[in-house]
Amino acid sequence: MSTEVFDSTRRDVLREQRIQRPWTKRPVKFGFSVFLAVLLPAAIVVSAFLYTDIPGAIILVVGYLPLQLLAAALAALATKGRRGVLDSFIIVMALGATVFSFVILLSIIISLIVRGSQALSSSFLLQNNVYISSSTPLGWGGVGHAVVGTFIIVLIATAIAVPIGIATAVYITEVRGRAVPYVRFFVQAMSGVPSVVAGLFILTVFIVTGVLEQSAFAGALAYSILMLPTVARTAEEVLKLVPDDLRTGALALGSTRARTVLKVVLPAAKTGIITAIILGIARVIGETAPLLLTALKADETILNPFNSPIASLPVYIFDYVAVPYPDAVTRAWGAALVLMLLVLVLFTAARILGRNRIGR
Amino acid sequence: MSGTEVMRDLHSVATSHRGDRIFNRSVTALAFTALLVLAGIAIFLGLQAIPVFAELGPAFLFTTSWDVVATPPEAGIWGMLYGSVLLAVIGLAVAVPASLLLSIFIVFLAPRRVAAALTNVIDLMAAIPSIIIGLWAFYLLNPPAEEWQRLLNQYLGWIPLFQNASGNFLGTPFIAGFVLAIMMIPIITSVTREVLGRTPPELINAAESLGCSLWTMLRYVALPYGRGGIVGGVMLGLGRALGETIAVFFVLKIVFETNWFRVIDSGGGSVATLIVSRFGEVSGNFELQILLAAGFFLFLMTLIVNVIANLIVSRTGRLQK
Repeated sequence: MSTEVFDSTRRDVLREQRIQRPWTKRPVKFGFSVFLAVLLPAAIVVSAFLYTDIPGAIILVVGYLPLQLLAAALAALATKGRRGVLDSFIIVMALGATVFSFVILLSIIISLIVRGSQALSSSFLLQNNVYISSSTPLGWGGVGHAVVGTFIIVLIATAIAVPIGIATAVYITEVRGRAVPYVRFFVQAMSGVPSVVAGLFILTVFIVTGVLEQSAFAGALAYSILMLPTVARTAEEVLKLVPDDLRTGALALGSTRARTVLKVVLPAAKTGIITAIILGIARVIGETAPLLLTALKADETILNPFNSPIASLPVYIFDYVAVPYPDAVTRAWGAALVLMLLVLVLFTAARILGRNRIGR
Repeated sequence: MSGTEVMRDLHSVATSHRGDRIFNRSVTALAFTALLVLAGIAIFLGLQAIPVFAELGPAFLFTTSWDVVATPPEAGIWGMLYGSVLLAVIGLAVAVPASLLLSIFIVFLAPRRVAAALTNVIDLMAAIPSIIIGLWAFYLLNPPAEEWQRLLNQYLGWIPLFQNASGNFLGTPFIAGFVLAIMMIPIITSVTREVLGRTPPELINAAESLGCSLWTMLRYVALPYGRGGIVGGVMLGLGRALGETIAVFFVLKIVFETNWFRVIDSGGGSVATLIVSRFGEVSGNFELQILLAAGFFLFLMTLIVNVIANLIVSRTGRLQK
C-alpha cells in the first residue's frame, strides 16, 4: 500500500521532470544517424592507424577530427536539413570534450593503480625512510612515517580551522550581524589564496621570527589557512538548510540564542557539519607547497609536532618524482596511490553523508 | 520571506540576554579571522618587499634576471610574472572551450544518469591533489606531448608561435599550460554547469517551440543567460592557475629570460614555482626576502582576479534569484 503511493508520486515527479525538459528527448532516427556518423570516420581512422605509418597524433588531428565533423554534418543534413549542421558540430565537440576529460582522468587513475600497486606491501605501508636512499630496492622502507606525519598535520589543522570555520558560518546564518556581506566576501577572497602564499605567510610570521621551528605545527597553521574557507562555506550552506521552525521553537521554549545555536541548530546540522569538515580535510591533504616551506621533511617517524621537521605524504612523493632510479620512482607512485586512496575515502564519505542529508 | 523577518525580531529581543551578548561577540570576533589572515598576508609579505625595492628599485618588477650573490645583487621577476600569465592563458585556451562543451553535454545532451555520473567524475577530478597531477604529467603526459610539439614544429614551424630554438621540447609553456588546463577544467565546469542548468525551462521550451535548433537556443538563450556566471567561473579557474605551484614544477623548465611567445620551446616562468624551486637552495636572507616579495605580488595578482571573479559570480546569482 505505502509503496504503491510512493511509486505513483515518484512516477508523477518523473513525468513532470520530463515535461519540463523536453529537449532531452530525441527521435530514434536522429540517434541512428549520429551512430552511423560516429562509426564510419572511426573505422577509416582505425584502419589508417593500422595500415599506414603516419604518426598517431597527425591521424587524430588532421584525419579524425575533420572527418568526424564532416560525417556529423552530413548526417544532420540528411535528418534535419541545413539548420541541423551547427547542432551536429556542437554535439560532436561536446562529446569530444567529454571523452577528452574522461580519458585524462582514466589515465591518471589507471597509471596510479598499475604503477602504485607495484610498490604496495605491508613493509611499504608500515616502515619509515631511515637508511633508505634512492637506490635502495623496494623491499625496504616505506611511507609509514609520512602517513603518520600527514595525520598529525591534518589533525592539528582541523582542530584550528574547524572551530573558526563553524563560528564564521554561525555568524553568517545565526548571528546575522551587519557585517555579514563583508565576512562572506573575505572568506571567498581567502579561498583564493594560493597554497604557496599560505606557506610563505607562516614562514615569515612564525619561522623567520624564530617563534616556531619548521615543524608539524607550522605546517598545520599553513594548512588551516587553506582549510578555513572550505569549512566555513560548506557549513554556511548546511546551516541554511536547518528549518527556522527549530530556531523559533527553541526560542519560544525560553532558550537563549546561544543555547539555541549550540543545542538545537548545530546538532540538527550534525551530518552536514561533518561533511564540511571532511571536505576541508580533502581540500588540504594533498597540498605540497606549504609543507615544503613550513614542515620540510624527515626520514624517521616523528610524533612531536613542535620541535623538528616532519615527513608527509605529498613531500615524500615530491622527493621521489624526478630521480633516475626506477625503484625510487615506484615509491613515489606507491605513495601517490596511498594519498589518492585517502582522498577517495574522504570524497566518498562526504558524498554519502551529503546524500543522507538531502534524503531526509 | 516573513520567516526571516520574524527571526530578525526574535534576534534583537534575544540578544538582550548577557550570555548571548558574550556568545555573539566571540562568534563575531572569530568570523573576522578571514579578514585578519588576508590583512596579515598583505602586511607581512608587503613588509618584506620594502627592503627588496629599496635595494633593487622598480627593476625588480620589470626586468628578468637572477644573480643574488653578485654585488650589487640582481633580481627581476618580470619573466616569472609574465610566464604565470602566459601559462594561464594557454591553460584557458584549452580549458574554457573544453569546460563549456562539457557542461553543455551534461546539461543539454546527456541522459539524466550519465549527467549525474559525469558530475561526480568532474568533482572527483577536482579532488586529485596537484602533486599527483604533477607526477602523472611528468611520466605519462611528457612523452606524447613531446611528440605532438615536435610534429607541430615540423609542419607549422613557420608560424612564430611554434618556433623552437633549443631543439628541446620538454619543459615548455605548452605542457605546463596543458597541465593547468587539466586542473582548471573541473573548476570552470562546476560553475558553468550550474549556471547553464539554471536557465529557466520556460525560456528553453519557448525557444524550441519557436523552432530554435540546439545551436540557436544556446546562442540566443542559454549562453547570454549564463554569461556572467561563465565569465566568473573562468576567472576562478584563472585565479587557481596563477597560484598553482607543484604540478607546474615538474613540467616547466624555469629560465631567467622572458619567453614571450614560443610556447613549444623549452623554458618559461611561473612565480609560484620559482618560489618553491629556489627556496630549497636559498643563498641567504636577501634571497629569502626576494622570494617573499615575489610571493607578495603573486598574492596581489590572485587576490584581484579572485575578487573580480566572486563579484561577477555573486552578482549573476542575485539577478537570477
